[in-house]
Amino acid sequence: MDEGLSVIRVRDVLIVTMPADPDDPTVAALQESVLVALEQFGARGVVLDVSAVETLDSFFARTVAETAQMIGLMGGQTVLAGMRPSVAITATQLGLTLGTAMTAMDVDRALDLLGHE
Amino acid sequence: MIRKDGSARAIEITLQDWEQRKKFSGFSDEDAQLLQQLQPVAEAFADAVVEELYRQFLNFEETRNFFSDSAMLARVKAAQKIYFLGLTAGDYGEKYFENRLHIGRIHQKIGLTPRWYMGAYSIYAQLVFPRVIEAVKPAEKALRTFGALLKLIALDTELAITTYIAASEEVISRQAREIMEIATPVIQVWEGVVIAPLIGTLDSGRTQQFMEQLLVRLVDTKSSIALVDITGVPAIDTQTAQHLVETVSAVRLLGAQVILTGIRPAIAQTIVHLGVDLSGIVTRSSLTAGLRVAFDLAGVTVRARNGPSMPASVPPNKEPQGTLM
Amino acid sequence: MSSPPLSKLHIRAEIDMVAVRRSLRVAASELGFGITDVTRIVTAASELSRNIFRYAGSGTMKWRALDEGGRTGIEITFEDKGPGIVDVEQAMQSGYSTGGSLGMGLPGAQRLMDDFDIRSSIGKGTTIVIKKWVRR
Repeated sequence: MDEGLSVIRVRDVLIVTMPADPDDPTVAALQESVLVALEQFGARGVVLDVSAVETLDSFFARTVAETAQMIGLMGGQTVLAGMRPSVAITATQLGLTLGTAMTAMDVDRALDLLGHE
Repeated sequence: MIRKDGSARAIEITLQDWEQRKKFSGFSDEDAQLLQQLQPVAEAFADAVVEELYRQFLNFEETRNFFSDSAMLARVKAAQKIYFLGLTAGDYGEKYFENRLHIGRIHQKIGLTPRWYMGAYSIYAQLVFPRVIEAVKPAEKALRTFGALLKLIALDTELAITTYIAASEEVISRQAREIMEIATPVIQVWEGVVIAPLIGTLDSGRTQQFMEQLLVRLVDTKSSIALVDITGVPAIDTQTAQHLVETVSAVRLLGAQVILTGIRPAIAQTIVHLGVDLSGIVTRSSLTAGLRVAFDLAGVTVRARNGPSMPASVPPNKEPQGTLM
Repeated sequence: MSSPPLSKLHIRAEIDMVAVRRSLRVAASELGFGITDVTRIVTAASELSRNIFRYAGSGTMKWRALDEGGRTGIEITFEDKGPGIVDVEQAMQSGYSTGGSLGMGLPGAQRLMDDFDIRSSIGKGTTIVIKKWVRR
């Protein structure tokens, strides 16, 4: 099972797909990979696809919030897409926040959201 | 007994209850002694009694079906003998009690209704009576011994039935929960819009189940608006209000939003007095008003053939139509 | 009356947390917990095992199935011989905040579970026992 994240560029948006149960180094790599790709492609938005993610704990949430903030500083927008209901309920009960990241039901809607800006 | 998740355990029989039942039936230490003295006699005729009991069971079609395979019949007979000898073991405390509870649960699981094992107890009494009269002297002592046995059998019967009922009620409450799921439907009324009318009291368990159902339906229908109507909810406490707030937050994580409607004056007062923060959540007093907002957010205009179109009011967060020149 | 099996994992490195999550996900599912409760259990365990790694360096997680009064549950124990928590009460109150220290996330883990028991001695270590029952 490939536990790495993947980064794809679609026009001027980056789509980052997270694996089902990323270990801490993979989550930390999210920040690095995204910012580097952002600069390289001059993307104006990042879609973080978490549809496969089964556990979203405080470390993951904090990384997402920080990354969204950094993306913002670099002039981009962040959308978290496809969160599973069980993960959404747990994250809410845990009191996690995602900072400035927006949310969308799936990658398609996330792209719509970024397109309308 | 209510558990943390709000569900109730139908009947919880404690050791204390057992001691109380014994006292109530007048089952004394003397009774326990008499029964214990009967043990060597009981051991002598245990096999014969068990054989006769099962001969009766196999005689009737309804009970014969429970003992269809011979390996199972052998196991059950062995267990029955142990049970029978337990009646004269002399110790009628915690271990005895736990064992009898266990029997009731098993009977419920295999579907052996009280009707049939009540029959079994009667048969025991009939089979044992002449043997006790024969084995215990004088006759007066034999009667007291038999009396003790009857008291114990009555106690056992009551336990077995109570446990059977409790186990059945567990099945019923599980089914009630399943009905509840059907009773909290999440219905798609338009592309991207679902309505969830909540009716009845919301306890913690029910609200959590609703939360899951709502979010799953939102994903299934790819909806971005959930109209949650609480007109049918008579009262709301802090925990339920808290769960509603959590529901709204969880829905947001899915990129959708909640419009909360049906907030009646009593509930509005409760929410404010409880200090629950519902700011940031769109709320309306009626389902119709909520629909107006929902349709507007969904970019839908509803127009009566003769009359005004809906939404009739200026939609929130939008510039008025037309420009001023 | 609780029943085996008892399962134990050592937490020494970040990678061990993946094993913690994976084994608890399987265990909780097999015990009959619904998907959301499985997620709650795994997430709480993720938080608590990360604490061990972060504050104590190493420790253990062990879990066992519970069977009491006809209901099924899971009990998970997190143990370390680390420095211990100086102010347990304060730790049980500090939650998450955006931008800033997140504390140990103990109240969050408590909210996700049905029972939460913490014992800590300075210089000796910390033991946290959490339980959750299958919703019937």
